[in-house]
Parts: sequence; structure tokens; C-alpha cells
Amino acid sequence: MSSILEVKNLCFSYDPNNKDGKYAVHDVSFSVEKGDIIGIIGHTGSGKSTLVQHLNGLLKPTSGEVLLNGKNIWDEPKKIKDVRFKVGLVFQYPEYQLFEETVFEDISFGPKNMGLSGEELTARVNEICEVVGIKKEYYEKSPFDLSGGEKRRVAIAGVMAMRPEVLILDEPIAGLDPKGRRDTVSMIKQYRKAYGATVIIISHNMEDMALLADKLLVMNKGSIEMFDTVYNVFSKYDRLKEIGLAVPAAAEVLRRINEKNSSIRTDIFTTKAAAEYLCAYAAGEKGA
Amino acid sequence: MKKVLKDITFGQYVESNSFIHRLDPRTKILLTILGIVFLFLADSNNLFSLLVCIVQVAIIIAFSRVPLRMYLKNIKAILPIIVLTTIINLFYGSGEVLLSFWRVTITTGGVNRAVYMAVRVILLILLSSVLTYTTTPNDITDAIESLLSFLRIFGLRTAVHMLAMMMTIALRFIPTLVEETEKIINAQKARGADLESGKLFQRIRALIPILIPLLISSVRRAYELAEAMECRCYNGGVGRVRMKELKYGLRDITAAAVMLIFCGGVIAVNILL
Repeated sequence: MSSILEVKNLCFSYDPNNKDGKYAVHDVSFSVEKGDIIGIIGHTGSGKSTLVQHLNGLLKPTSGEVLLNGKNIWDEPKKIKDVRFKVGLVFQYPEYQLFEETVFEDISFGPKNMGLSGEELTARVNEICEVVGIKKEYYEKSPFDLSGGEKRRVAIAGVMAMRPEVLILDEPIAGLDPKGRRDTVSMIKQYRKAYGATVIIISHNMEDMALLADKLLVMNKGSIEMFDTVYNVFSKYDRLKEIGLAVPAAAEVLRRINEKNSSIRTDIFTTKAAAEYLCAYAAGEKGA
Repeated sequence: MKKVLKDITFGQYVESNSFIHRLDPRTKILLTILGIVFLFLADSNNLFSLLVCIVQVAIIIAFSRVPLRMYLKNIKAILPIIVLTTIINLFYGSGEVLLSFWRVTITTGGVNRAVYMAVRVILLILLSSVLTYTTTPNDITDAIESLLSFLRIFGLRTAVHMLAMMMTIALRFIPTLVEETEKIINAQKARGADLESGKLFQRIRALIPILIPLLISSVRRAYELAEAMECRCYNGGVGRVRMKELKYGLRDITAAAVMLIFCGGVIAVNILL
């Protein structure tokens, strides 16, 4: 496997002269393998959003570099737009960026900027809508008439339509109802399956992270605190609490039971696995 | 684009506790207007008259305890306008001919006029900077509301209050809108929007994906704010009392007296010298 995205010693300060020596992101290095799903977690203001804006060249590092397929994205500053097509970034509350008259037009905005037109453009929009399950009867609707969850999905599809190799989503499920959340998560999964894309998700929802991510990157005060498998990260319960984070609710429940009955395992993080384990445990106890 | 947005520094208030900061905002507004009027009443053929104005502004600036570089920054910002007025004024006026070429003549009167105009514009900027540096935008709107309250004899009481409230809200939301605009610009850039190149028409068209979401979110914000205000029983100012009442004090009288002495000085110098 080769790493598709590599960040080396990235530092960034919002003040170009950096008089006070404070960095929003400080000395961050990591690499992402092709096809991985990486979850980024961290308390508010830990530099998550600032970090991901470097990955598609919206922000230029104060020092350090970002390599996409082994090439520094700032080698040719004039071609930074191409990087943005390869690394798609969905911002927080992307539904606030919808602006076209129809859903179809809005999803076409990205591909149009890539230079697609006519049949090619229509085919591209059709394809992505099919993959992520946006029905054709929505095409001519105004995006402003949709429900919150639908708006969100149309906005995400607008980025997916550029067919980025790396898809980054900043809190894609924040503020959605349970159905909207399920739909959005499944849409991300479908996109990844269809194109073998690499996905990076910022989220505060630890349950979804446990379910979705292969690896977790934990940010704290602008630096990387941990970058490890979901299992290893969520095993460091005390440290996560210390930096204002938490483990998934299922793991928390197991911990509380464990305080009363120390034979209960605490290293299970998804709701489904925890339920299965507890059922098996209960059955075993009855049997014994 | 982004740089332009960063350069808009609004609410230029500089925190301090100087004599001028503590003046009643109404006093500051009235005295600023008075000062500006007298800048133009100063006789442009009389060096001493303008000198009085310079001394006056210098003293006010010294008392404001705002760093001098803050004032210089404001002058720098309008330097092109100063240079332009100076050059234009150079060609007007009569008197001894200093220089004459083609159809243009420069006279002593013209030079005189140009210098005076430049000095006046600079003093004008300095004087109004003192107001904005030492008074918070909220204080300014409160003062305007209070100063305009005489309009209530025409039955315009609510209108004056509404006007002041609108100004306060507009000022309050400038930073929010700037932030929002930056976010939208970044989001559309992430979708490959090109804002920096192309011909004029293309550039204007490229603003549509930014302006429409901005407009929609502003309307949304307005509704939210209106609802939040109604929830707190806002009813347009009738029977509303203030937490911070504006009150004139001894220092306002002192400041007014000093200003009047200087204005008297300008008149005296105009007549006597």
C-alpha cells in the first residue's frame, strides 16, 4: 500500500508574521493510506478544521508540507485548483452553501468548474446521484425547498460529483435527526465503495467513529495526541477524558458494569458488538 | 478577496481610560462637529488661524492616549485623496505667478490654497479618528439616539429609537458577516470556484455562488434575531430604560469650555491678524 496523502511537520499560524509565536496547528505529521477511513477527533478549537483546510490547499502552511500522491501540493501554486478536485472538502453545515435554482444545477457546480459540460456533465451528475441515492425527481426541485437532511445530502453530493480521490468531511452529521444521520453515513460508505476513495471524517460522535473509521487521529491544542487504530485510541480512556473527549456510550456502559463486576470486558466499542457480548455473557452465566 | 475582508477593521475603538474616553459620547460628537466647522472657518490667508487649529488637534490627540501610529494609519489610508486634493488646488487661485507652462500656471495663491487644504483634510481625519478611537460604536449610536430625541416633538420618537437600534445591529453584525463570507468563499473554492482570474464579467458572475448563500443566511439571521428579541419582550423602545444612562459631567463642561476657547481663538486670529 502506498500513502495517498502525507503531511510533514505542518505548522500554521493565522497571523502571517506570527508575532506571539502561537500556532493553530503545530508540527503535525501523519500519512494516510489509500482507501482508509480516518476519523479526526478533538475538542473544539483543537485545530481539526484548520488542519483539513491544508489538505486541499485552502490554507498554505506557515512551514512544512502536504504531499498528495507523493507530490507537494504547493509545487505549482497555479494548479492548486486541481488539488481541490482531487481532495474534496465538505465544510460544516454544507447546506448553507447551496445557491443554484435546482438540485441538479447545484450538484453540477463542481464538475462545471472542472471544465465538464453537456452530456458529460449530465452523466457525471446522474452517476453520483445514483451512487448516493438521490432520486431523479429531486433534480428540478429548488434546494431551498428540501428538508434539512436532504439539503445536507445534496450539498455533500455536490462535492462528491467532482469524484475526489480523498473525501474530507467536517462534521457531516452534526445537527441532523437520526434518519438524516443514517442516510448521510450510508451515503459516505456508498461513495467510498463505488470509487475506492480515501475518506477523512471530523466528528464529535464517537459511536459513528467506532463504526466507520479504521484509524483515529486525536488532536489536542493544535498537535497530534494520538494516531492509532480505533481500538488503541479508545483503550486510552483516562487520557481521552483529560483532553475533553470520551469513548463511545457502549464502552462507557461496559466500564460502569466493570466497576461492579470486574470480569466484564471494557474493550468493546460499538453498540452492536457490546450487545452481542453482553448477551453471550449472560447466556454463559446462566449455563454456569 | 480574503485580504480585503481582513482589512476592514470596524469598531476601531481603542481601550483606554483617558480624559477623552470618559467624556459623554454626546459631548464628543457635538465637539467634533464644532471642531470640523471651525477648521473650515479658519481663514486660509492667515497662517496663525490654521496654527491654532493644529495646536488644538494636537492637544486633543495627546489627551486621547491613543498611540500615534493608530492615527497615522488612518491618514495613510486616505493619502491618495489628500494628494489628489492638493494637486487640484495647486492650479487654482490667483497671485504671483510661480511657474507657467503650456496652459497651466501655478501661483502663490494656489500653493497657499493647496497646503491649507491638505492640512485641513488631515486635521479633519484626525479629529474624527479621535471620536471613533475613543468611543465604542454602541456609545455612538446611543448618543445619536439621545441627540435626535428632540424629534419626538414631531411624533418621531419610535422612529429615532428604531434608527438607533438598526445602526447598533448593523455594526454588531459586520464581524459576523465577514466571518460568514470567508466561510462561504472557502466552501465554494473547495468546489473549484475561481474568484481570482477571468475578465470583469466573469468575476462578477463568480460572486453569485457567494452572494446568494450570504443573502439567505442574512435573512435567516434577521428572523432568528427578531424572534430572540421578541422573546425578551422587545417592543420598539416604548417604556424602555437604560442600564447605562448618559450623563453630562464636570469634565464635559471643561472639554466644551476648552473647545470654545480655541474656537474663539480662531475667530480672534481671523479678525485681528
